[in-house]
Amino acid sequence: MDTDLINVSDEEYVVQRAKRSLKIDPVAAKAWMITAKTLYPNNFAVQFEAYKIEKEAGHVKEAAKYFSDLLSKFQREPEFWQEIENVTAALRYEHDASDSEKHFLCDMFKHLSFDVQHQLLLFTAEHCEDTMEHCRLLLLLLQRFPNAISTHGPRLVDTLLSAEKHSHPGNQPVNPYRKLLVSDVLPLLANENINIEFSSKLLFKLLHKSTEFYLCSLEMSKSSVQDPSISIDDPWKKLFGVIELTGRHLGWELYLITFGPNWTKENYWQKILTFCQTHKTSTPEDHMNTKQLIYCLTIFFLNCLYDYNLSLSPEAPPGQVQTSFLLVEAFTDPNLPTPVTEPKSKRRKGDNDTVPVITVDKNESKSVVSNFLMAVNCWDLFHSSDNLQREFAKVNGHIKLDSWLFNFLIDYSIYKGLHDDALVRLQQINDSHLSLPKNIRHSSILYLRKNYTSSFEPLLLAIQSLPTTNRGTLSTQLNTGGIQRHLHFLPLTQMAVLQYCVKLLCRCIKDNLLKQSNNYNELAIGNILVLLQFDWPQEEDLLPLIIEQIRQRGSFSYLLFQAYIINVDILEELTYLWTEQGGQITLDILPHLGQRRIGTRGADKGVKEEIKYAIKRQIARSNEPLDQLIIKFISQERGHILQSLM
Amino acid sequence: MAQLSGPEIKNSLRKLDYPLCAKEAIIKIGQLICNRVPSLKHMDLALDLMAELIFCEIDRRGNKRQTSLTSLDELQLLEILYDYLNSTHNETSRNAVFLSLFSGTTAMMRSNILSKLISVAIGIPAPCVLFSASVWMQQLGNTSLNSKQLAKSLINDYFILSPNSVPKLSLLPHIAPQFTANFLTAISNLYFNDVNKPSVTFPPINLLEAITLWVKDNSGLCIAAQQTQASLPPGAIAMEATTPIAGLLNWTIVAPLHNQHSELYGKLHLGLLNSILEIQPITPPRAISTAHLLQPFGKIVRYFIQYQKKYVDGEYIDKEKRLAENVDLQLSLDRYAQAIQVALSINCVYGNMEDFFYQLSQLPQNRLLHIVMRTHKLNK
Repeated sequence: MDTDLINVSDEEYVVQRAKRSLKIDPVAAKAWMITAKTLYPNNFAVQFEAYKIEKEAGHVKEAAKYFSDLLSKFQREPEFWQEIENVTAALRYEHDASDSEKHFLCDMFKHLSFDVQHQLLLFTAEHCEDTMEHCRLLLLLLQRFPNAISTHGPRLVDTLLSAEKHSHPGNQPVNPYRKLLVSDVLPLLANENINIEFSSKLLFKLLHKSTEFYLCSLEMSKSSVQDPSISIDDPWKKLFGVIELTGRHLGWELYLITFGPNWTKENYWQKILTFCQTHKTSTPEDHMNTKQLIYCLTIFFLNCLYDYNLSLSPEAPPGQVQTSFLLVEAFTDPNLPTPVTEPKSKRRKGDNDTVPVITVDKNESKSVVSNFLMAVNCWDLFHSSDNLQREFAKVNGHIKLDSWLFNFLIDYSIYKGLHDDALVRLQQINDSHLSLPKNIRHSSILYLRKNYTSSFEPLLLAIQSLPTTNRGTLSTQLNTGGIQRHLHFLPLTQMAVLQYCVKLLCRCIKDNLLKQSNNYNELAIGNILVLLQFDWPQEEDLLPLIIEQIRQRGSFSYLLFQAYIINVDILEELTYLWTEQGGQITLDILPHLGQRRIGTRGADKGVKEEIKYAIKRQIARSNEPLDQLIIKFISQERGHILQSLM
Repeated sequence: MAQLSGPEIKNSLRKLDYPLCAKEAIIKIGQLICNRVPSLKHMDLALDLMAELIFCEIDRRGNKRQTSLTSLDELQLLEILYDYLNSTHNETSRNAVFLSLFSGTTAMMRSNILSKLISVAIGIPAPCVLFSASVWMQQLGNTSLNSKQLAKSLINDYFILSPNSVPKLSLLPHIAPQFTANFLTAISNLYFNDVNKPSVTFPPINLLEAITLWVKDNSGLCIAAQQTQASLPPGAIAMEATTPIAGLLNWTIVAPLHNQHSELYGKLHLGLLNSILEIQPITPPRAISTAHLLQPFGKIVRYFIQYQKKYVDGEYIDKEKRLAENVDLQLSLDRYAQAIQVALSINCVYGNMEDFFYQLSQLPQNRLLHIVMRTHKLNK
């Protein structure tokens, strides 16, 4: 016997014998430990030592047994309390329990009886002073013991709601309490086998909170600074889950709250239409119907809107610059063939006259159109009756959608041709990042309202802030045939925006020209010729008309000729006018020759030579980059341009 | 046939050759014994049929036969007995026939056949035959000579003659827990037991190994026989099964004193402590009797006296130190004290506690034992 143990207490003696045996004979150590435990059942130190010995030896089963004993007797011992916390802490990071102790504790937890596991989690949660910690522990309990959900679930919801209220006065929708409530607790409660009564008030509250949370986190996930603690997997699926939960408790139509794997927007929209046909929602008396329509429609609308926004700024393939799209009023030309858009069967009767054609350059971006139209459908439905409009306003008050709606509503106004509305909204934009789209559309709307002069100012601003890093290509879809209105998703690239502006400016000048009584303005004609060059020969149909006008007039004076007209086709036409066959039209295109226009034949001959040379020089420049030329033209000749717009 | 008189039954069976007569006889015996209230007359007839037509111990006149069964006859008889017992699903009937076949004055005579029968039942294995054997051991006393005889023979078959079959036995506690428990009790009395024996014998290592595994992996095994109420024939008094706990503790406690230092003893000891912990407290306690728990006492005292004798000429002052330095004795006493402590804490010991503590106080000095005794005297 070890002599140094003579003076220790009995308890200490037995424990020491166990500890000393541990290294030489673990079996004997266990026998000693059992003895110690039975000798001093109420001595915490002995009992805890027994546990620690088993734990150190890595005996999961035995440690679990001792832990259970301790939990039933010594919950209040600080040292054991610490160990309980270690266990619950380990459980929370179970998936990455790289730490061997954590791993052991998780393993041990699995060997505890269900009752003890339950007791442990509940006990820890109840003794937890930190609310967040308390809620996390309760969540852990509910995750492991679905039976406990109906008992503790509602209380946890209440706790989280009030904790959020007290800790986040600024009402930040994305906060840890909300996240726990919405993305962890609610899915548990949504389980069909859980039988809990919820008041409809609470259900709507949870629906509001969830929607707000997911929208916000979606918004945040797009920003470059991502907080991993906030990111949520498949938020829409979870949000649909909340609708399912709400709908199930409130007895909503099953087809409106079923979002299975085969769910599609088109099908769901048909279901909404079915609902509208079979249920009355137009008066406040149809309260329950209205509620279910409004909430289902809101979530659906937001989903469409979200996808629409995504397709407006689709992710770029690796190594390429991201290109966003902007809905603009594009152009029609009755002389062009009417485009084949969608099959007629898809359209409803009477649509053809009012519904604009929407084009988009790339085929892969077609979804942007359907996403937009679906969102428009929803928006129209919200405003189909005063009652629905009022109810939607209420929901909007709860989940604060205004910032989400802002851009869509501009697009919507443009789509519906509500120019005043669109202008008011455009004027609210102060963000300098958004000034390019703002100016483009501003200019476009002013053109549509025939304010040609004022249309030029925003156009000039747009030209000055072209996206220089994203060059892009010319579009072939800006102009379509037919008489329907034409909208286009314009890629915000240097070339596409410039092309749009050029076409717009060209039309401003042309329409202004048509407005005038004498109908001939050399400056305007010259300016149009300059602009036509940019996406030549897209607008070549205009050239014969202009040439004809010049011919009728017999002379053409345009002093910017040398600076800006370099297109071979245009130069050829002009040169032809100047020849004998062309009618010997006087071309006043060289500034210093102006005074010598009426002179002797001999002198005339010299002039002819000079014009010949001048035209040759212009032809030699025909390969110059047109975009630079046109940008220079618009920004440096604004006086001349404005004159042609007045 | 029920209407036939005793002699008529005998005569009709005697017409058959062996072993056919035995096969018919056992069926008849079953009918006689398993009547709702078997009369003495029926019982006597049954016993006669057994002696004459099954075991061939007497001839038709009641005289003792000089020649015993041939090996072939014996084999055929085993088959008949096994088939009959194994196919008798009524537990009470099976136990009744089994008990009458192998109890009473003829028990020793038939022990040879019995051990072969049980050996077969273990090998097959046949849980219901083993269950009847368990009831038999319990009714005759699982520490009785008969039970020990059976245990010895089974050990011989399985651990000495064909040690290769030991792994197969690891499932025995699951197949027949009650039988295994009673078997263990019988075995525990075979070794480390020098009463009426010139010298102490030790269990073969493979037996020790098997037992250690059984106990370690089945903490409820030791009390299995006490957990089940056997179905006995009407009128029989159920006998209490002795658990193997005290007997096997005796091994682990005494082993160090005999220089038996296999680590298996330590493991078995721990297994036993854990088994004790698993005992559900009942009033009155019945798992371990003080008398059984005192088995090591005499051996320790004797060892101590002999140890002291060696040093009779040595210095008297060092007596305590010498005692403390005797590792074997201290290990033995530590284990003893541990066992007592755990058993007392579970409150599963019955008997004269005062005498028990008095005896323990006579043991050589050991701190744990001292602590244990003080604790339990305080608790009283």
